[in-house]
Amino acid sequence: MQVNPVIEKELKIKMRGWKAPTLITVYLGFLGLIVFLNFLGSKVISPNNVTQFNPPIALNSYYSLATFQLLMLAFITPAMTGGAISGERERQTLDLLLCTNLSPFSVVIGKIFVSIAHVILLIAASLPILGTVFLYGGIGITDLLVLFAFYLATAIMLGSMGIFYSSIFKRSSVSMIMSYITVLFLLFGTIIIYGIWSSIFSNNTGIPPGIGHTMAFMFPNPIYGFGSILYGSSYGAGIPGGLSGIISTVIPMSGSVYGGNTPNTTFPMFLGIQFKPWMANITFDLIVSFLFIFVSTIRIQPAKRFRLRIRRKKSQLEAQIIPKN
Amino acid sequence: MLVIENLVKRYGKFKAVDGLSLEIDKGHIYGFVGPNGAGKTTTMKIIAGLLKPTQGRVIVNGTDVSVDPRGVKRKIGYMPDFFGVYDDLKVTEYMNFYCGVYHIPRPERRKITGQLLDLVDLSVKKDAYVDSLSRGMKQRLCLARSLIHNPELLILDEPASGLDPRARIEMKEILKELKGMGKTILISSHILPELAEVCSSIGIIEHGKMVVSGTVDEILKKTAKKKTIRIRTLDNLESALKYIEEQPSMSGISINSDFIDADFDGNSQILSEILKGMVMNGIPVTSFSELEGSLESVFMHLTEGGIQDAS
Repeated sequence: MQVNPVIEKELKIKMRGWKAPTLITVYLGFLGLIVFLNFLGSKVISPNNVTQFNPPIALNSYYSLATFQLLMLAFITPAMTGGAISGERERQTLDLLLCTNLSPFSVVIGKIFVSIAHVILLIAASLPILGTVFLYGGIGITDLLVLFAFYLATAIMLGSMGIFYSSIFKRSSVSMIMSYITVLFLLFGTIIIYGIWSSIFSNNTGIPPGIGHTMAFMFPNPIYGFGSILYGSSYGAGIPGGLSGIISTVIPMSGSVYGGNTPNTTFPMFLGIQFKPWMANITFDLIVSFLFIFVSTIRIQPAKRFRLRIRRKKSQLEAQIIPKN
Repeated sequence: MLVIENLVKRYGKFKAVDGLSLEIDKGHIYGFVGPNGAGKTTTMKIIAGLLKPTQGRVIVNGTDVSVDPRGVKRKIGYMPDFFGVYDDLKVTEYMNFYCGVYHIPRPERRKITGQLLDLVDLSVKKDAYVDSLSRGMKQRLCLARSLIHNPELLILDEPASGLDPRARIEMKEILKELKGMGKTILISSHILPELAEVCSSIGIIEHGKMVVSGTVDEILKKTAKKKTIRIRTLDNLESALKYIEEQPSMSGISINSDFIDADFDGNSQILSEILKGMVMNGIPVTSFSELEGSLESVFMHLTEGGIQDAS
């Protein structure tokens, strides 16, 4: 089987030298420190050697780590992909790739894979630390797998978004800024829009919005999908009431927006299954990723057959001002 | 091998290439000459499948670029005028990457890489990082890269630009070697002597149009309307000048310290009569010769002085 040469080359460059192992070591050390401090602060480990069995502390560690990883994913992935195509343009290597038999699709897929591979490697390497929660129970292996699948879908979406902007804009800095603006909109813009709408809705009708309404506004938000996974884990206990620090900052909404923890919550049905918020979010991620990849492939295709009219007008204008050769 | 028919590339109202046609036979080196902005790079990018023509056809060994661009890409090796390299790769890794791009089986990659690095004289640098190479070495590495899939047609856009004289000579030697291997090469440059030496034929392009095309000799014959005669005498250059000025077939006469140049419009019979007359009138003629046509002067004349300084 032929390995995509773009993947092979980029992985070789990224993993060469001391940077990658150092990054992984520092990252895992940092996660380990979070767990250690969490246990230390809750007196599970204490200077007086007073130990106690306190499962919610382990859950708190798990939530903190999971949230930290989501933030890492949201803010590192665009930086890694934002310059993927525009960087090739800036280095003047894109034409060399496109005049070969390598298809634009292979270039795009290779770039996305490599960009998210680094982030996924960090997350996969952290699974043993996340697994400390198993010592105390409360989180099942299925919860961990669902969380990992969610991370993967989010990374693919953010990675393909970075590639999309990178194929649109010639300068990497512009594409990265656009990627971050979009990430901030997805993370917080949707919450603000939903907050405004829900208050108007509640004022007019006298009842709070239902889960269907919430999902209709919040489905693109990774925090919403993430929150619903955390809320659905820990065997119905929900996010602990005393949740503090990083998680309450990132997930400011109450449990009701995830459908509550009562068995009577009616989620929208899709193909005979209850369509939970994280499922809606993953579905959104995959559809949007497909569109981003499709448009990026078209954008970098040499001798394009499909062109946006606005783009053609722009290039006409450029040609009139500075005839290139 | 390469047929270009009525090629047009428009950007709005601006025509980068305007009805350009040419044919290159297998095994020939064709030099594409023209001032900056003449349409050379645009034409080459269209042949390489990187730009879509507005009108016209490009056929590479029977395959139309617009109909089967991937088929054409298998047949051509393209070296752009400005290109980048992946600095974090070693020379062999760089070549290995492009072997992968061209789907060359792994067992064959080492052999092909070795042969091509030998060809461009970079074998000693095979374990060096690409960013440590000089510009000339990077140019040669890019040339080796464009040969990885053994293309039938090579498109080299200004391959010698920015190179020092030694690197230019080395590049010229490589081109001669490639010609010996039977490769068809389309090469652009704005340095005429460089092309005249290695090319089977050349085409001069300006404002997207082919001004003249053919072998160097053919072009000189086509474009030289008047011959320039240079006359030297032992002494008494003034009497020679007076005699020349009396001849109706001579014009544009200029006198220098020890010779006279004059444009001659006539046949060989008239020319011999003039020489005979000078001798009979006691003018001590030591040299009476037709100046070789200068390709550069032809180029300047045809492109209205638009040539840029050679870089």
